Amino acid sequence: MFELKEGIFVLDDLRNVSIKIGEIIEEEEIEKAIMGPTPKPKIADLRDWDMFLLKRYKPFYAPYCDMCCLCTMGKCDLTGNKRGACGIDLAAQTGRIVAIACAIGVSAHCAHARHMMHDIEHIFGDPSEIPVDFGSEIDVVAPLTELITGIRPKTVADFKKVLDYCEEQIVQVVDSIHTGQEGSYLDYESKALHLGMIDSLSKEVADIIQMCAFNFPKGEDNQPYIEIGMGTIDMNKAVVLVIGHNAPPAANIADYLEANGLTDEVDIAGICCTANDLARYYERAKIAAALSRQLKVIRAGLADVIVIDEQCIRADILYHAGKLGIPVICTNDKAMHGLRDMTKEDPKDIIKYILDGAPGVAVLDPLKVGEVAATIALERRKKRKGEIKPVLSEEEFMEYAKACTQCGNCTFACPQGIRIGEAMEAAENGDRSLLEKRWDVCIACGRCEQVCPKNIPIIDMLNFAAWETIKNEKGKIRRARGPVRDTEIREVGAPIVLGTIPGIIAPIGCGNYPNGTEEVYTIVREFASRNYIVTLTGCMAFDAALYKNEDGQGVFEEFHDRFDAGGVINIGSCVSNAHIHGAAIKVARIFAMRNIKANYEEIADYILNRVGACGVAWGAMSQKAASIATGFNRLGVPAVVGPHGSKYRRAFLGQPYRDEDWMMYDIRRGEEVRVEPAPQDLLVAAETLEEALPLMAKLCIRPADTDRGRSIKLTHYIDLNLKYLGKLPEDWHLFVRTESDLPLAKKEELLKILEDEHGWKIDWKKKRILEGPMRKYDASFNPTNVKRIFEEGPLPLGGE
Amino acid sequence: MAEAKPFDTANIPGPKMAMIAKTKAVASMIKRAKRPLLIVGPDITDEMFKRVLEFSKKGVQVVATGSAIKKFVEANVVDNVKYAVLHELTSFILDPEWPGFDGEGNYDLILFMGTIYYHGSQMMAAIKNFAPHTRAIAIDRYYHPNAFQSFPSLWKKEEEYIAMLDEVLAGL
Repeated sequence: MFELKEGIFVLDDLRNVSIKIGEIIEEEEIEKAIMGPTPKPKIADLRDWDMFLLKRYKPFYAPYCDMCCLCTMGKCDLTGNKRGACGIDLAAQTGRIVAIACAIGVSAHCAHARHMMHDIEHIFGDPSEIPVDFGSEIDVVAPLTELITGIRPKTVADFKKVLDYCEEQIVQVVDSIHTGQEGSYLDYESKALHLGMIDSLSKEVADIIQMCAFNFPKGEDNQPYIEIGMGTIDMNKAVVLVIGHNAPPAANIADYLEANGLTDEVDIAGICCTANDLARYYERAKIAAALSRQLKVIRAGLADVIVIDEQCIRADILYHAGKLGIPVICTNDKAMHGLRDMTKEDPKDIIKYILDGAPGVAVLDPLKVGEVAATIALERRKKRKGEIKPVLSEEEFMEYAKACTQCGNCTFACPQGIRIGEAMEAAENGDRSLLEKRWDVCIACGRCEQVCPKNIPIIDMLNFAAWETIKNEKGKIRRARGPVRDTEIREVGAPIVLGTIPGIIAPIGCGNYPNGTEEVYTIVREFASRNYIVTLTGCMAFDAALYKNEDGQGVFEEFHDRFDAGGVINIGSCVSNAHIHGAAIKVARIFAMRNIKANYEEIADYILNRVGACGVAWGAMSQKAASIATGFNRLGVPAVVGPHGSKYRRAFLGQPYRDEDWMMYDIRRGEEVRVEPAPQDLLVAAETLEEALPLMAKLCIRPADTDRGRSIKLTHYIDLNLKYLGKLPEDWHLFVRTESDLPLAKKEELLKILEDEHGWKIDWKKKRILEGPMRKYDASFNPTNVKRIFEEGPLPLGGE
Repeated sequence: MAEAKPFDTANIPGPKMAMIAKTKAVASMIKRAKRPLLIVGPDITDEMFKRVLEFSKKGVQVVATGSAIKKFVEANVVDNVKYAVLHELTSFILDPEWPGFDGEGNYDLILFMGTIYYHGSQMMAAIKNFAPHTRAIAIDRYYHPNAFQSFPSLWKKEEEYIAMLDEVLAGL
């Protein structure tokens, strides 16, 4: 057999030849664009970029466990960076654990994307018949796909080969984690960064194909409002509670309700990303809560039936739902919870099985879920009274409060260290306010109940004390809009790169907050008020919507949802994070006219140097959050996590005092320059909200800022320090290149400090800096960290 | 009996866990140290804060992390106190070549008090495993297994805990 390579060729005079055609590469596409250097990069193809990042942003390891327990030669004690039986030391082992976390995270997103592809084929038929078309305002439809693979998808089916690539990369990296493979912590980090990049790509696939197949919004702003909060659930109706991240089964419930005229009789409320994605499909959907309230919602009895799909579902959901007799329908083979699989059976038989008392059932065909879930909810609704009350009576509540001995076991078990005993004692004495306040700080993990010697149902106690809060928790969130439009980038690309829009702040991820949900609202409002662009996804988007300003408006009502200064945008679910990457890539493509085709290193370098964006995952909890953050980091976007984030074991922290770490090339002048530490870190945990806010502002500073942009960014950095920490930051002077970098309102005061405390020379007549900065401001500074780009220049665009 | 129970029950890092610190020994280590550093986090009471100021008066460099600096600002005692992001600070401590806050070099004894428990614990794990040039001592209300030595868990016995701090101060 003779196999032809990819390309254009002519065959004449064929006889007795059978031709099997693989992929057809369109002639037009080949001619259009110059392919960059790294189409579908393998593990080592972007290693040089990773090693640059890892030299400047050194992996900082805080092991959670000083041992390795992964093979039978162990357990091995690696304390003090000792080597184990296989030869691995603690640094490499910690890097390995980070790679494992990223592998789990990217697998969740990639498997989700593959599952979505299967569901789309099952529900809609041939995916090559579903175009990838986001309208006239979006030409760069899949920036990550184009950047990483060089593919510009035209139909949903085109993403199959992207998924093939992702799956291969995941398997290759997971192989490297086996005992007796990689031994370098730096290479483990490079592999983790690789998985982070694959994670971002997988997310883009998952979100774009569901947007196209289910006709979600495609980047339009001024999205309608969706009701959010536990108090929005109408218990006079039958209630279906959907939990997870894969929305097709929930969409089928919505279809069933609409097809059967049941939308006024059944409420669908959701937790986590299924809720966000369902609302993109069915505007009447309600968002009950974020992840950290899952158990509070279930234990409050706010559902007639629970439908789960995948990711972020409690492993003990059957136990908790079962306490209240709420049946659970599993719709995804990744989370079947030991239940009977009745996928192939008649929906009526499945419904009867549940209504006869079964705790739950697995129904893996999304097209059957609607009838089953809606019918069960309606039948169960008939058997209960309208308004839901706390599961505890007043007498039971008081009995449990009295039973508490303040032994402290619950506090030792609590991730937040909540003093539950104190609150119980206060409740016993008639003051329930402590329990009510701690209801929000509690993430309802349930560990306290596991260790209580008196078997007090602590979550029920908290729900009882906070019942009025629960009933009145009603907010509004914008329906998720998905991608940022090319036309928006044309408007804001310049202000972002020049720094006059001080930054893009991206609150994303889970709800393991150190001090409750209100801090999320504070983050969003603080930055939106300062004209940053705030792009939210996942649980943080939900929690930001639960609070109101003095005029009774939530952040999604107070601020517009354009990708522009002062915007507060619900981008979407976890997989929609890809559109935030996409916006940064589009700045390079549309504003700077860089070629993004298979050109990852150059574009990541561009973003690191010029696009002042900073993610914040204030309650990061999951392995997905690890791979999401790592994906942002490889693309040159720093992230701040909450204090729990240090349990991920690894941060990427810069050392601003090391000159050699902050040298860059200036393409225009043809020389190396020592630049300010901007951004100083790629991944850092803040201890408190007050610390996080100025830190995020600092991490939006970039070497390429204009003086006007730097002045605006420094204004916010200094102002946030003064507002939340009460003093000037200790390092603000490091970011001053010229007097016009200084905040206008504080110019003289700061010049004086530069002279008195840092020994800089100032010309007071002209109010100019004569000596002191590590470099002078140069408006034509054209920075890169990549020697190839320094020597050869950026990749040409080609004939596009 | 002093309680060597981590404040997060499952925070058992491995074979090497902190010994319970005795106040005289802690005072002796601080006195022997050439460059001691006291890291003060936001989880401190007013009584603890008073003792922090005493440590500062005894010549121990104090650095406030998180929002702890606000307490110093409110008390108008910022002159000898530095502010740092704990995560960044710990990465500097891991670097033997870090010039320190005053350009005189890294610190050879790190005292921890008032950090957010789990975050501080992680920072001590980093020092324990990757900073052979220094040692972390937890003089906090909670037992910290990742420290070299740690006070026991006394979060329900503040008077007893404050008395231990006073004993350390008396020994300086």
